[in-house]
This record gives sequence, structure tokens and C-alpha cells, in this order.
Amino acid sequence: MSDQIVQIMDWAGILCILAGALLSFIAGIGLVRFPDLLSRMHAASKPQVLGLLLVLVGIGFRLLPAEATGIFSLGTLLLVGLFQVVTVPVAGHIVARVGYRTGRIRHDLVSTDELAERLATRRSAPDTSEDTVS
Amino acid sequence: MNALQIKKKIGARALRSRIGKVQIPVALGMTVVWMLLFDAFRLRPETLGIAVLGFGVSVLIMMVFPLPPIVPGFRFWPLRGPYMVLYILGQMFVASLQVSSWVLRPGPPKSSVVAVRMRTESDLIMVCVAIATSIIPGSVIVEASQPERILYVHVLGAQNEEEAVEAKKGIYVLEERIARGIGTRENIAELEAALATERRNT
Repeated sequence: MSDQIVQIMDWAGILCILAGALLSFIAGIGLVRFPDLLSRMHAASKPQVLGLLLVLVGIGFRLLPAEATGIFSLGTLLLVGLFQVVTVPVAGHIVARVGYRTGRIRHDLVSTDELAERLATRRSAPDTSEDTVS
Repeated sequence: MNALQIKKKIGARALRSRIGKVQIPVALGMTVVWMLLFDAFRLRPETLGIAVLGFGVSVLIMMVFPLPPIVPGFRFWPLRGPYMVLYILGQMFVASLQVSSWVLRPGPPKSSVVAVRMRTESDLIMVCVAIATSIIPGSVIVEASQPERILYVHVLGAQNEEEAVEAKKGIYVLEERIARGIGTRENIAELEAALATERRNT
């Protein structure tokens, strides 16, 4: 590869890594600033996924010209991204569900809550099958 | 002697039913992951051995921990599939900026929990919609009701009824993209029927 292309890729990589770092930083600020569990979940798990993906892309740009065996590193980066994307929703869902069910949310900050209406109607009519919301 | 033969027969039957649980496409996917982990995509003498070993390990895993097959399966549409991926990535970008602006704005943000009823019958599409909504910033799944096919989504920044309805529409669009990207023909037919009734009602 010619020197110029390598340099362009270097810069693209640096920009990606910086943008990813910025997103992760904002996620950190959100974690401190947001008032309750559910909105903190948004800050903690979300801009950070995109941040991580951007950092991975940036690393990819830097590695591609530097290494003769680029496929190995790129494959590893791909796996990191894939597993992150697949596992974050699972963890996020469990934390959100437990937080909601144990009342660790501030209802004054929730404007419409269709799940609360639903749970209330179920509590008043307990003879419907128990595990419809499971 | 006789008891031993019966035992052997039972063992063979159990083994055969376990082998029946192996799903070849899933095993192939696991082999690819194995090969990525062991640097097998560079041509060298060990490549074939790693591939065979990886396939053996994945078959063994699926025999020891059998899982039900994915019903009714999926198919990847060559144009709509990549469009779906790009759409989700684009949404991730836009929504990341939105959530960042919520983080930097003074005062705590309001939010809503909305119920979204899926219009397709497939479990796989429901799972994909749930994963996509979770990855896109600003929304997280609080509850999922599988028999009724309802996802309860917590949306950050939806301050009033209209914005909650707006967020619901976004998730419906996401479902449509995913069903058209990786759904079977039946899923797409269900989706189109639901869309047609919606259009008639409005």
C-alpha cells in the first residue's frame, strides 16, 4: 500500500478512536448525572456500545496496513464487537426488569407507563394465568 | 448378557436422539468462531485440522447441551438484509447523539414505558427486535410477554403522550425492517396483512 493511503487510514483510525472515547466519556457523565436506575441504564449501556464499536473500527484502520496477517486481528475485533452487541441487551434487560419490579425507579419522572397499568389490572384480577408476563 | 444388550440398545437410542439435536448451520457458525479464535483463516498446515476440531467441538457442545431448533427459521434477503443492518447502525448514530444531548442538558430527563405488540408470529423476529431496541440508545426492554407478543420498552426523553406514540412508531418501523430483512415469507405476509388493516383503520 502506498504511503498516502496508509496515512489517510491512520487519520481515520485516530478520528474513530477519539469519537468512541468521547461517547464513552459522555456515557460516564450520564451515569453520574441521571437520577434513577432506568435512565442510568441508557447512559451506561448505550453510547458506550457505539463508542466501543467506533474504537474497534479505529483499531482496525490502524492495524490493517501495519500487519501482514491482518485477518487474525480483524477477526478478533469482529468477535469482540459481535459478542458485545449480543450480550449487552441480555444484561440490560435483566437489570431493567429487576429494577422495575423492585420499584427502584422514580415514578415522577415517568410520563406514560403502560406496564404499570398492565400490572395493576393483573393484580386486581389475580385468577388469570400467572405467567403471562414472565 | 441379555441385560447388557438391552442397555446397549438404550444407549444407542439415546445417542441417536442426541445426534438428531445437532443443527448443522449453528454448528458451522460455531466453527467459524472457533477458527477466528485460533487464527485459522491464514493458510498454513494446521488450518484443516483446526476446522475439523472446531466442528467436532461444536457438535459435542450441541449434544451435551441440546437446544430446541429455531422455528420457523429465517432467510436472509440479499437487499433488505444489509439495508436492515445499515438502518440499525444509522439509528444507533442518531440516537447516540440524542442521548448525549440529554446527558449534557440540565435537569433530569423524563421518560415513558410503552407497550408494543409485535405484528409477526415469529419468536426469532421478536428476539431480534428486542436486541435491536436494546442496542439503539434511548430505549431498553423492561418486560417481554412471549405468549401475547408484547414488548414493554422504556424510552428515555419521551416527555408526553405524543412522544410516547412517536417512540412506539419507531419500534414498529424497526420491526418492519427486521421482518423484511430476515423474516420468512410467512412473516412478511403477516406483516403486510397487519399493515393493510392499519391503513384501513386510519
